Amino acid sequence: MTFAGVDFAQPWALLLLPLAVLPLLRRRRDTLAFPTLDWLPADRAGRIAGFAGRALAVLAIAATVLALAGPGTPETTVMRTGRGAEIMILMDRSRSMDAKMKPSDWRTIDPHSLLYQVDSRGEPKSAVARDLLSAFVGRRPDDRFSLMFFSAGPMHVVPFTQHDEVVQAGIRAGGMGRGLSDTNVGRALTGAIDSFEQRAYTGSRIILLVTDGGAHLDEPTRKHIREGLKAHRIALHWLYLRTLNAPELGAEESAPPPAADGDSPEAIETRNAYYAQESVPEVSLHRFFQSLPVTYRLYQADNPDDLAKAVAEVGRQQNFPLDYDERIPRQDHSRAVFAVAALCCALLLVHRSLLLRSWL
Amino acid sequence: MTHAEQVQEFHYRLPHRSAGARPGSHPGSSLGAGQEFVSHMNLHDRPDPRRLDLRASLRSITGEWLVRVNRQRVGVAVQALVDVSASMAFGARRRKIDLAADFVESLAHSAFRVGDALGLRAFDHAERADLTIPATLSRGLGSVMADSLRHCDTAPGGIEGLEDVVQQMVGREALVFIVSDFHWPLDRLGAALDLLSHAFVVPMVLWDAAETEPPHSDAIAPLRDAETNVRRTLLLRPKLRSQWRDAVADRREALNALFAAHDLRPFWLTGRFDADALSDYFMEACA
Repeated sequence: MTFAGVDFAQPWALLLLPLAVLPLLRRRRDTLAFPTLDWLPADRAGRIAGFAGRALAVLAIAATVLALAGPGTPETTVMRTGRGAEIMILMDRSRSMDAKMKPSDWRTIDPHSLLYQVDSRGEPKSAVARDLLSAFVGRRPDDRFSLMFFSAGPMHVVPFTQHDEVVQAGIRAGGMGRGLSDTNVGRALTGAIDSFEQRAYTGSRIILLVTDGGAHLDEPTRKHIREGLKAHRIALHWLYLRTLNAPELGAEESAPPPAADGDSPEAIETRNAYYAQESVPEVSLHRFFQSLPVTYRLYQADNPDDLAKAVAEVGRQQNFPLDYDERIPRQDHSRAVFAVAALCCALLLVHRSLLLRSWL
Repeated sequence: MTHAEQVQEFHYRLPHRSAGARPGSHPGSSLGAGQEFVSHMNLHDRPDPRRLDLRASLRSITGEWLVRVNRQRVGVAVQALVDVSASMAFGARRRKIDLAADFVESLAHSAFRVGDALGLRAFDHAERADLTIPATLSRGLGSVMADSLRHCDTAPGGIEGLEDVVQQMVGREALVFIVSDFHWPLDRLGAALDLLSHAFVVPMVLWDAAETEPPHSDAIAPLRDAETNVRRTLLLRPKLRSQWRDAVADRREALNALFAAHDLRPFWLTGRFDADALSDYFMEACA
C-alpha cells in the first residue's frame, strides 16, 4: 500500500491514527483549578509551553502508529552512471613467471639461437608485467584496484581501494623472492570472484588475469566461475604471457566446436581434432572462457611491447562511463519513526516533570 | 476545624445603636432594662417604681417622683452571606468553603453567647435556597450550618447571587458578614453594598495562600478558571511571579478602596480562621 511515495508494511495499523487526537481532547484532570484567572498575567511563554506539550503528545502517538504501520520507501530502480571501474588484478606468482620474455626483436633472431637469446637478453615476465601494471594503475586514478597473487591458491594482497600507493606497493611486493611452485587458476579465479561478494555495483568490474599458463578446470570449478562472473557481472581479461614454445591461441583454438555431426569418418576426425586441442591447458582454459556468459578478452603477449599494447588495450576498453540500472530494495523507515516517537516521549516526560501538579 | 477541636469564640459589638425589641448585648435605641442612663421621667408617665430614683426626686423642684429611664441593649439579627461558588472550592490545604464553614460555626457559637439570632444565606449565581436558614436563636444551629456548607455542591457563580441575596436584606438592621473571595467586577459590588447601608457589613475576604502567593519553583502551570473553565497555561518564572504578586496587591488595593468608599473595613482571611483577629477587628471598629 503506497501513499505519496511511502508504502506501509502493515497499513491496517493506520486505523489507529485517530488516537492521535486524544491529547487534544481537553480533560479537566489535566489542569489545576484556580479561583480566578483575571488577576493572573497573560503569558505567551506559557501558551507556547502548553501548546508544545499537546503537540508532543499528538506527535508521539502519531509517530508510534506510523511506525507500527511500517513505512518504507518502495523498491525502485534507478539509472546510475558508474565512472571508475573496479579492477581486480589477478597475477600469477608461480615460478614460470620468473622465466624471461622474448626480446622485442625476436622475429629477426635465428630460431636456433632464440632460446639462448631469450635467456640472456629477455626480462623476467613477472618484472615486465609488474612494471606495466604499475604504470597502468598510475594512469587510472578513477578506478578502484584490488590485487591478488596466486599460485597454488589465491593470496589477497590489496582489497579494493582507490589509494594507488597501496596498490603500487602491492605490485612491487610481487617482485620479492622467487616464484612459488604451483599454478592453480581455478582456485585463483574463484577467490577473485568471491572478493566481489557483498560489494555494491558502482562501475564495470574486471578481473585482469595475468598468467602465462592455462589449466584444466574441473566441472564444479567451471560452474562456480561461470555463475560467479555472471552474478557479479565481471568482465574477464586474460593477459596471456606467452613463453617460448607455449601454444599460441589463434583462430583455430578460438573457433567454436565444429558443426560436424554424424558418424562419418570425416566428422569423427574433425571432432577428434578439435577435442584433442583441449588437452592443451591454455586452449582448454581459453575455450572455457569463451563459453562464459560475460565479456571475455584475450591479450596475448610474447614480448614486452606486446604486453604494453595489451595493457593499453585493457585501458581503452574500460574508459567509458557505464550506465546501469540499480535496484534499490525497499527501505524500512519505521526505526527512524520509532526514534521520533521515543524522542517525543522523552520530551513529554521532561514537559511532564516541569508541570505543576498540585498547589502544595 | 474538626469537631474535636473547641469551636473558637470571638467577641463582637456593633459600634452604633440598633433598633430592636429583643434584649441582647448591642447598644440599642429603645428604652428598657439596661445599664445606660437616658433620663428621668415622671412616675406617672412611666409607672415603674423599681426604677424610682429617690435622690433625684428630692432634688426635683417640682417635687414629683422621678423614675430612671435606661436604654436597653438589644440583640440584632446576624446574617452570614456565604459565597458557595466554584471558586470557593479552591484551596491548597483546605478549601476556602471549609474555612467559611469554620467561621460560620464560630459565628454561631459567638452569636448564641451574646443572644443574637443567626441566619445563613448562601449563593452562587443565585441564592441557594437549600442552604438558607432564616435568622434563628438556636444553640445547635452552628454545626448544622457548617456541615451544610462543607458538604454543599459548588457551582459557577457571580455577583448576581450576591445581588439576589442582598435584595432581601434591604432596609433591615443587621450585622451582615459577606464571606466570599470577591472575585467579582467591583462596580456592581459597590451597588450591592449600597443596598446594605442599614446594616453593619463586614466583608470577609477569603483568599487561599496558593492564590495570593505563586509557587516557588519554576514550572509549567496548566490552569483552569474554576468559574468559567477558561484555560490558561503559565510558565512560572521570576518575572511572572512578580507580576502575580503585583496583581494580588493591586486587587487588594482596589478592594480596600472600594470598601473604604462605603465606610467598610474588610477582614482578610487567609489560610486559617483566627477568632481573636476578628475580635480585634470589632474592638477597633467600636473604638
